[in-house]
This record gives sequence, structure tokens and C-alpha cells, in this order.
Amino acid sequence: MIFSTELLVQTVLSGLMVGVLYALMALGITFIYSIVKTINWAMGEFYMIGSYIQFVAVHYVLGARWWWLAAIISAAGTFLIGLILEPILIKPMYARPMQRRDDYATVVTIALLLLLRSLAVALGGPNQYRPESDLPVVWIGPLPQEGARVAAFVCALLALGIFWIVIKKTWVGLALRAAAQNRLAVQTSGVDVYRLDAIAFAIGVALAGLSGALLAPLFMVFPTNGAVTTVKGFEIIVIGGLGSIPGALIGGLLLGLVESLGAAFVSSPYQNVYGFLLVILVLIIRPNGLFGERGREA
Amino acid sequence: MQRRGVLGAASLLAVLVTLGFAPARAQQEPIVFGLITPLSPPGETALGQLAKRGAELGVDYINEKGGVLGRKVALSVHDSAGKNEQGVAAYRRLVSSEKAVAVFGFIHSGVNIAVNEVAKEMGVPTMGTQTGASDVTAKKYDIAFRTHAVDAPRAAAWLGWIQKNKWKRISVIAETTDYGIGLAKETEKQNKDKNLGLEIQTIMFDRTTTDLLPQLLQVKAFKPDAIVNIGVGQPLDLIITQAHTTGLLPGAQMVTSYDAPARPQFWQLHGDKGVGINFIAFYSPKSELSDLGKEFAKRYQAKFNEPPVYAALNGFANAIVFAEAIKTANSTEPKAMIKALEEGSFTGWSTSPLTFPRAEGPLWHNWSPPLMVLRYATKDQTPATAEVAYVLGQ
Repeated sequence: MIFSTELLVQTVLSGLMVGVLYALMALGITFIYSIVKTINWAMGEFYMIGSYIQFVAVHYVLGARWWWLAAIISAAGTFLIGLILEPILIKPMYARPMQRRDDYATVVTIALLLLLRSLAVALGGPNQYRPESDLPVVWIGPLPQEGARVAAFVCALLALGIFWIVIKKTWVGLALRAAAQNRLAVQTSGVDVYRLDAIAFAIGVALAGLSGALLAPLFMVFPTNGAVTTVKGFEIIVIGGLGSIPGALIGGLLLGLVESLGAAFVSSPYQNVYGFLLVILVLIIRPNGLFGERGREA
Repeated sequence: MQRRGVLGAASLLAVLVTLGFAPARAQQEPIVFGLITPLSPPGETALGQLAKRGAELGVDYINEKGGVLGRKVALSVHDSAGKNEQGVAAYRRLVSSEKAVAVFGFIHSGVNIAVNEVAKEMGVPTMGTQTGASDVTAKKYDIAFRTHAVDAPRAAAWLGWIQKNKWKRISVIAETTDYGIGLAKETEKQNKDKNLGLEIQTIMFDRTTTDLLPQLLQVKAFKPDAIVNIGVGQPLDLIITQAHTTGLLPGAQMVTSYDAPARPQFWQLHGDKGVGINFIAFYSPKSELSDLGKEFAKRYQAKFNEPPVYAALNGFANAIVFAEAIKTANSTEPKAMIKALEEGSFTGWSTSPLTFPRAEGPLWHNWSPPLMVLRYATKDQTPATAEVAYVLGQ
């Protein structure tokens, strides 16, 4: 392995940038969990859907210049799909008496995963695609970065900011936070908690869809492109703490850093292992994650 | 009484069917060829589809010519998804339930190697359609055959190309699969054994990695003259993209370890950045074809409206070779077929006849296609118009 200060700085910057993008996916997973109390195993497939919408919009309709509009359309498209699917697949978990809710959610979302993936193969074929990008290479200090990656990084930060404002400053955000704390109390206050579930699910999958759209020019578009990113998302929520929004961001940055530094300066083939080592370390030191709260039981 | 008569007639009919008609029906049952190839991710699905197209046309051709031993041939297609366990399960099902007599279509070396471990017990021969790792045939299993370039000539091809251009510093970036590890080791071995004096940097990576920037920054710091890209599928394309970002390309030369850039989607994925890419190829439309190869190319063009590429040619040839081996052996019994394959000389798509000698090392039961390095000099070139940068052995 070659080592120099410049290479170290480049690797750190590269890790931080990819970390923010991972965080966007983790945020969707953790957000859905905090409201709906369900882990969505099909999150990667919404990432995949977002990337396909981005490709179709840029390649066939809008052109490379309008990539940002395509990204908004991708996020909106996945939001709508989430809004339609949640009442059909997730709502019955709460609307009907059910003993093993977690098992139900796992089975339903894994079935959804398989369905969406097969649908992508059937409709788009097995080939890889890439939406065109005319953004030039950008130098961040000593690190050259694809313009599309910088754009994805900026958009991811922007999306995280907007998300924070919606959650902290709006009535819907207040209701969502209240539902995350106590569903029953929210229901007794006259809020339609099922509607909140649908909104939370749709926002969560829209974040994944946006992530897929932003990363499509970099990591390409194919039926299983969401699989690895979803694994990273789950690693991040274990590191940052399930249900914690700052945890998702910090967890993403840590994971990106550890993987990049490990691959560059320790041993490249184990790039994915370093993330899992970090997960194990966090579980030993703080079993609820860096920002996770200890569960309260009655 | 009437009921007893009906029962008696039914019993007689059953006996007649069992003794008389059943063997006749078995005679008419088709001979099954199994195709195990990646048709869904994470496998190299594009290659799988191409091999499938070739195999299907091969079986059609055989049946048009009257089939084999008076029976039609049927192709049973199974998806390995590039996963060893899925490939092994497919082989077991093909041999046990579907009574397949030959299995081919392998694209991923790992799948082929894993299947061979089971095949050596179950006995039905396999043919690596596009699997390059030495161990596919180097273990010298009776059942293991292959129609593809193994690690040694492939590494020799890019090392020859590098030497021809007098480059000295070489980066090898390879995935941690049987394929990638084998080729990376072979490149280092030949550099040492042939005393080529190249300075080689080898970087391995997990093929599920979505970001190869840290590895490519290391490559950049090494300042290579040429980069050998040993990724398959998505990683191959990711390396090209990110090598451009880091500024490695177009300064250094890059050669990919197989003919992925020969596919039409290459230019959609890479646009201008595809210009200057070199790739190992086993067939160029400029190559001379056998009469059978010309016939296949004509049929392929008519059916798919594009010229055939290597994986399709090999899928076709594999079906033809197995059919010819059955004819020579006058049997579908595996040992007789294996003997026919070892001793025979068969016509495939190439003008060089296909033989499968009991040779040493990975050349055991192996027919190797011609090897060359092609180069795209301008955007939207096709393999037919690509520059032939190097031909192994010339």
C-alpha cells in the first residue's frame, strides 16, 4: 500500500462523501421504523425504482441538463408508490388484530422485495444502464470527484436539511414525532395515525428513491443495485441507533470513512468487512447504537 | 360379470401399455441438454443471455438436421444467477429429474468449479462455455470440458500487448473471485517466470463493492503505464468510470480481461469515456469462421438483427459438440460420450477444430479460442471496426 498525506486526505474526503449518500438510505429505513415500527426489507428496491425512473427521465425525456428535475420526479414517484402500497401491505398490520406483527412485516416486505426485483428484470432486462451526466469533474481540495457525485452529495445534504425542517418545524412533522413516541396518545388526540403511517412510509421510501436517483450515474442502474446500499443502510442504523436521525448521518459518515480508509491503507478485498467490524464494536460498547435510546418497558 | 369383463380389459390394456408402448414412447423422448447460465443478477446476465441464444440456435440446428440417434434434442435452461449453490442445485435437478446427458452454458468459473465437484460423482459431462479459471479443468476430472481461454493464455495476451508497447509499470485491479484471483496470480507468475521485468501493483476488491475510488486512488499513486481491469459486469464498468474521475484515464492505457465492451450497451454506459479502452477478445467479426460458423452467424443475424458475439458462438458450438459426441459414441452413456470427446475432433464456429485432449494442467479437456486485444479508437465503434491492437502468437 502506498501512503502519503495527499492520498490520506483524498481517501478521507472520498469516504465522507460516500458516507453522506449512505446516510440518505439509512435515514429512510430509520424514519419508517420510528413511526410505523416496521423494518422495510424492500428499501433497496425503492432505491432501484428511483434509479430506473432517473434513467428513463434523463435518457428518454429530459436530457442530462435536467438531471435535478429527474431526481425530484424520482423521489416524487417513489413517494407515490409508497403512498399507494402502504395501506395495502402495512396498514393491515395495525388495522386488524394481529399477534405477530414483526413476522408479518418481515414476510410482506421481503415478498415485496422479490416482486419488485422480478418486475425490474422483466421490464428492464438484466442489463446495466446509466443516465447521462454532463457535470464536469470537480476538485475538492486534492480529490477529483465526478460532478454527479458532488451533485449527489450536495443534494443529499439538502434533502437531509429539508427533512429536518419538515420534521421539526411543520404540523405534519410534529404529528410524526408524536406518533414515533406514542401511537396511542396520538390516536386519542384525534390524529389519523394510519394516515401518518402512510405518509411516513412514503417519505421513507422517497428518501431511498432519491438516493437511487442521485447515485444512478455513479453506481449504475440494474435490478439489484439497491441490495448493497440497503445493507449499508442497516449497518448505519445499528451504528447510529435505530430511530435516530442524527445517528443515521453520523453512522453514514463513520461507515464511509472506515470503509475507505480500510480499503486504501489496510487491505482492499475486505472493504465491506470493515463496516461490519465497526458494527460489532459499536454493539459491544453501546448496544443501542451511538445515538439510540434504551428501550422502556412497562 | 360385466364389471369383471371391464376390469379384465383394463388390466390387459395396462399390461400392453407397460410392455409394448412405453419403450416405444421412451425412444421418442428427446435427449435433454442442460444449460446452466446466469440469467439474473448478481450473475453476468448479459453473457448468460448470449450463451442461451447460441445454445437455442444450436439445438434448433441439430433438430433440423434430424436430431441425434433418431431422437430430438431438448434444451432445459436453468438460471445460476452466478451463485455456486444455485448452479449445483440446477445440475442435480437436471441430472436426477430431467435425465440430462450433457450440461453447459457456464459463465462464472466459481459456479463451473462447484458443479464439477458434484458432476464428478454424478457422471454427466459439463462444458465451460466462458469460464476462465484454471481449476475448471486443471483438477483433471473426467467429466470437465471447456471451450474457453484459460488464465495462462489470457494473461499472456495482455502481457504480450504490454511488452509490445514497452510499458513497465502495470496495475492489476481484480475482483476476489476464482476468476479474478486466478488471473491476477497468473499475471504475476508469468512476469516472474518469463523474466519480463514489469513492476506490477496488484489490488484485489470484493465484487459487491459499489465504490472503488479508494482502490483507484492507490492505483493513481502508483503511476501505472497500463491498468488491467479484471472486474466482471458492474465492477468492470465502475472501474472505467472511476478511473476517468481520478484522472487515471485517458493518461494510462486500460485493458479489460474479457470482451464486455463488445456489447452494444457499452457506449450507452460510457459515451466518450469508452474511447481508448482495450479489451481481450476471442472473436472479431474480422475473424474467419468455419462453414458451420458462417451458417450460425447468418441465422443469428436473421433472428436477433445483430451479428453474433463470442458467448453466443460458444453456446452454439457446445450444443453441436455434444451432439456430435453422442453420434460418435452411438450412445448417451456418459463414459462413452467422454471417450468420444477426448478422442474426437469437432467442427465449431472457428476454423480451428475443437479437440479436448487429456493435456497437462488447465489445458486438460480444454479447447482455447484465438486471443487478441481490440481497441476502440473512436466513439460508437463496433468490434467489427475496432483496431486489432495485438494478437497472441503473432
